[in-house]
This record gives sequence, structure tokens and C-alpha cells, in this order.
Amino acid sequence: MRNGRRAAWFVMFAGVAAFAAGTQAQEGDSDLIAVALAPRAESLIVARCTVCHSDDLIAQQRLPRERWEATVDKMRHWGAQISEEESNLLVRYLSARYHPGAPERLAPIELGTAEPLNQETPIDGPLVGVAQRGAGIFEHNCQACHGAGAMGGMGPKLAGNPILKHEDLFWETVLHGRGPMPAWGSVLSQQDIADVHAWLSAKDTSR
Amino acid sequence: MSAGASEPSCSRRTWLAWLLGGVGGAGLLMGGRPAAAQVVEESGSHRDTGPLTIRVGRPFDAETPAREFVSFLTPNHRFFVRSHFGPPPSEQIAEANWRLRIGGLVEQSHELTLRDIKRLEAVTVTAVLQCSGNGRAFYRPRVPGVQWERGAVGNAQWTGVRLRDILRLAGVREHARHVQLQGADRPAVPSVPLFTRSIPLEKALHPDTILAYEMNGRPLPLLHGAPLRVVTPGWMADACTKWLTDITLLAEESEGYYMRTAYRLPLDPVEPGATADNLTKPVEAMVVKSVVAAPAEGAVVPLAPVMIQGMAWSGESRVLAVDVSLDEGKHWQPARLVGEEQPYAWRQWQLVWTPRVPGSVSILCRATDESGAAQPAATPWNPGGFLWNGWDRVTVTVGG
Repeated sequence: MRNGRRAAWFVMFAGVAAFAAGTQAQEGDSDLIAVALAPRAESLIVARCTVCHSDDLIAQQRLPRERWEATVDKMRHWGAQISEEESNLLVRYLSARYHPGAPERLAPIELGTAEPLNQETPIDGPLVGVAQRGAGIFEHNCQACHGAGAMGGMGPKLAGNPILKHEDLFWETVLHGRGPMPAWGSVLSQQDIADVHAWLSAKDTSR
Repeated sequence: MSAGASEPSCSRRTWLAWLLGGVGGAGLLMGGRPAAAQVVEESGSHRDTGPLTIRVGRPFDAETPAREFVSFLTPNHRFFVRSHFGPPPSEQIAEANWRLRIGGLVEQSHELTLRDIKRLEAVTVTAVLQCSGNGRAFYRPRVPGVQWERGAVGNAQWTGVRLRDILRLAGVREHARHVQLQGADRPAVPSVPLFTRSIPLEKALHPDTILAYEMNGRPLPLLHGAPLRVVTPGWMADACTKWLTDITLLAEESEGYYMRTAYRLPLDPVEPGATADNLTKPVEAMVVKSVVAAPAEGAVVPLAPVMIQGMAWSGESRVLAVDVSLDEGKHWQPARLVGEEQPYAWRQWQLVWTPRVPGSVSILCRATDESGAAQPAATPWNPGGFLWNGWDRVTVTVGG
């Protein structure tokens, strides 16, 4: 188990080194590249892609690089919040992992701890959610499933939901996911989550 | 009250059954608990053993395992689901709030309640609905999109009103040529184009084109478009808009991605792997196709007579013959067409096969319709991966 993890880290390091050396993505290198890029790419997928669709849609594709480029471009054109640098990384990762020669059933990549997208600055004192900020964070990350105004959609209605009064369960669900809901721990910062909680709790639930 | 996330009361399977089976739709229309308030307990292990094989969890895309196609009608909870964005918020389609608006090139715009619609003459059509991308996974080179295999198709009884009766209420103006269909489903991000489609006026005025509020004699389930969806018998299901709210008569085809870019086929054959050129036409009628439902893929069959069963259909033509090959297409023998024959439904077929030697055998089938069209070994490649109708194949092991 321990050796396996160490090996995975070594492979990851080797992959990064290979990539940094500017090696062309040969067929044999693609696994290494995928492993090396996976921690950040998988976080990006949760943060930018699963706003609209679950990641199983991605994992079932087997496409050459130019099709992946066209696909990521299309998604950016449609409003996916992907920067130029993120787009390059995603295309590199997707075309290394989900290329036409990849097997139908891919071995999972050991991610270790996913890389946080938001670098937290340590805060002093208790975390206070800012409802005003929460509205925007909700719209960007949660609304796809939980509906405009948190009135529900494919996911539960959160306005007036009893879970808001059980903060431990709320945080547990956001950080680790539940049922079809993905884990947002590597996407949202603590402050983001507190802000969303504050916004949801302040909502008028009389309707 | 809300079931909320603090009351884990419902397994993934019962949740799915609830959403699919019409209880959701019915509960919703009666102002019951919205689907959104249901909790899904994750297990993940039922992914391939439930009523449907899930291709995409969200928005929900799932196909029927081919073994279920031994029945003439596909039960609602096993019927494939294709979602562009998933069901709209429950309040919007609750009967009290939901309206069907008819506008554009009409004499008089109209807004109808479900009750108004149900006052019109009810008609029932048994028809195959099939996702245009059914079989996309079999194209080589691979095509982007949901990797549907054999089960994004089903046969159901649809009850509703004729679209032409609705159009006549409003009065179609002289230069109207296309009927735009818009559902209440919305993308997660507003910059994503809406799923807006149009069909030519002739298809809309065809007496068999209906707006359905029942599926197999029960209220249309939420995931199948409650309270009202379009059914265009003989045509691919991209014309069968769910959660219908707006009908707009136009002089031209609808604008927008889902009409002008997606769901289109090249007019002339294209090089496999090429990108779409400008000369395309919308996906419309279904092509002749057949599927082996039994034995199931991977089954072990005895060295004794085996009943091979399946179904076959064609868009606007009759199925004339289904042939089966057990030697990779070198020799074909006719299957017997059985059961009901209705214009837009599928036809069931069967063939008794007596294997002679143990080992692995592929069962192939191909259908031929009245127009003379027959299934090819593999469908010519197209950039969207639409209308796959290559020979169907099931591989079984004959036991000793």
C-alpha cells in the first residue's frame, strides 16, 4: 500500500520531469503525462466542467488532441470559466488520458490530495460568512443543480432547507459530496463555503 | 416541508424509479414534494444493474439494457432518458403555473392550460422514440458526445392531442413554414444555447404528430417531459421536445446551435474523422434498424435450440424482413416477424437456432424495409455520430 503510493508519487514526479523537458506526447508517455497533470486537471474539471455536467461524460470520450481542443473551446465559448492557461492544461490532460487508443476501462489515477485551486490565506479569528459574496459563489458553483435562488432543480431546494441549521452536516456535504453531488472541498475555499452558507441562511423562505 | 439533505430516506434506485416512473410527474402536478427535494443515497454499485444503464449522471442520460427489448412496449421506468439540461424547476411545470404559448406567424396568439389541451380530442399513437446518437459508440473514428450503445430507443403508447389541432386554434399564417418547439429546461449557465428545435410545417400538421401528456397510459413522467412533450412518429427524438412551453411559427428553420449546428448530417459522404462542412441537413426520419434482445451479450447458451429474439423498425416505412447471420455475415437466414404491426411501432422477430458446436458465436441481425433500405454492416461515418444502423451484434458462448 505504502510502496504503491510512493511509486505513484515517483511516477508523478517522473511525469512532470518528462513534461518539463518538453518531450513530445508519444503514445507511451501519455499515461505519465496524465498522471502528472491529474491533480490539478481533475480539480479544474470539478470546478469548471461539472458546473454543467458530471465528469462521466468526459471519461467516456476517446478523442484526439484536436477534438479535445475544439471541445474545450466550445465550452469556453458557451461560458465555461476556463482561462487560457487552464485550457491548455485541460487539453493536455484530456488528450493524454482519453485518447483514441486508450482502453475502454481506464485504471484510476491515484490523486493523493487534490491540489486546491484557491490558495487560502490564513485567517485570524472565526470564519464569518459574507452573504453578499455568497450569492455570486452560489450562482457560479451551485445554481446549476440547486436552481436559481436555491429553489431546487436536479438537486434539492436549499432555501429554507433544514440542513442550514445543522452546520456540521452542511459543511460535510459541501466538502465531501453526497449522492450524485461531487465534493467541493478542492474547489471552494473555507471562506467561499461560509459565504454561501451565510447567503442561504439569510434567504427569505416565506415563499 | 422539504425532504432536504438531512433526511436520507431514499435509495438511488427508488429515487430513480420515482423520477422515471411517473410518480414524480403525478406528485408534481398535484403539488406534492418536488423532485428536487428528494435525497439520493449514493452507492454507485447499481449503475449497470438498475432499470437503466447510466451514461451521464447529470444532466441525466441513460439507456435501456438491450435485454429489456423482448417486450413490445418499453415500461416508462426503463425507457431511455436524454437530457440536454435536465428537468426544469418543479414550480414552472406545476399545472397551476404551466402554460403552452403559441405565437409567431399565427392569426391569434394563444396561451393554453393543460386543462384546455385535454379538452381537445385525445389520440393515441404507438411509436418508437430513438435518440439521434443511439449507437454513436460504434463509430470509428470515435465521435464526441454521449457514447450511446444499443439502448437509446424505446417503444411506447403516447396519448395526447394533435399538434395540428393546436395550430388550427391559433390559425397558421400563409408564409409560415416551420414550427419552433421550446421546452422549459434551461442550461446551468445562461450563456449556453437553449435546446431550441423546429420541424417543417408539413410534419407538424401531420395527423400523427402529437403533443403527449400520457406515456403507456400513465401521466407523462418528469424525466420524459411532464406535463407535455412533442412526439413526431417516425422521426428521431431530437424533434420530440420535452417540457414543451412555446410553439412559434416561423418562415425559416430555427436559429441557434441545436438546429443550425448540432443534429445535422452532411449532404454528401464525408471522410471519416473530417469536421462538418457547410452543406448539411437536419436529422429527421429514422433509418431501418434492428436489435438482438435475447440472448443477452455474453450469455452462455446450451448446446440445444436457442430462441433468438429482437425488434426492428424503420422511420416512415414498414419493416419487411429481418435476417440473422451466425457466421459473420456470410450466410443469412430470415427471422419470423411476430406480434403487433403498427405504423410507427417496432416489429418483434424471432428465430430458433440450434447450435452444433461449443464455442463463441456472434449473432448478427439486419432489417430491410419496404423502401428497399437495408442495414449496412457499418453506417457511413458522420461528424455528429448520428443515425447509426450497422448490423447489430451479440456474442454468446455455446456451452458443451
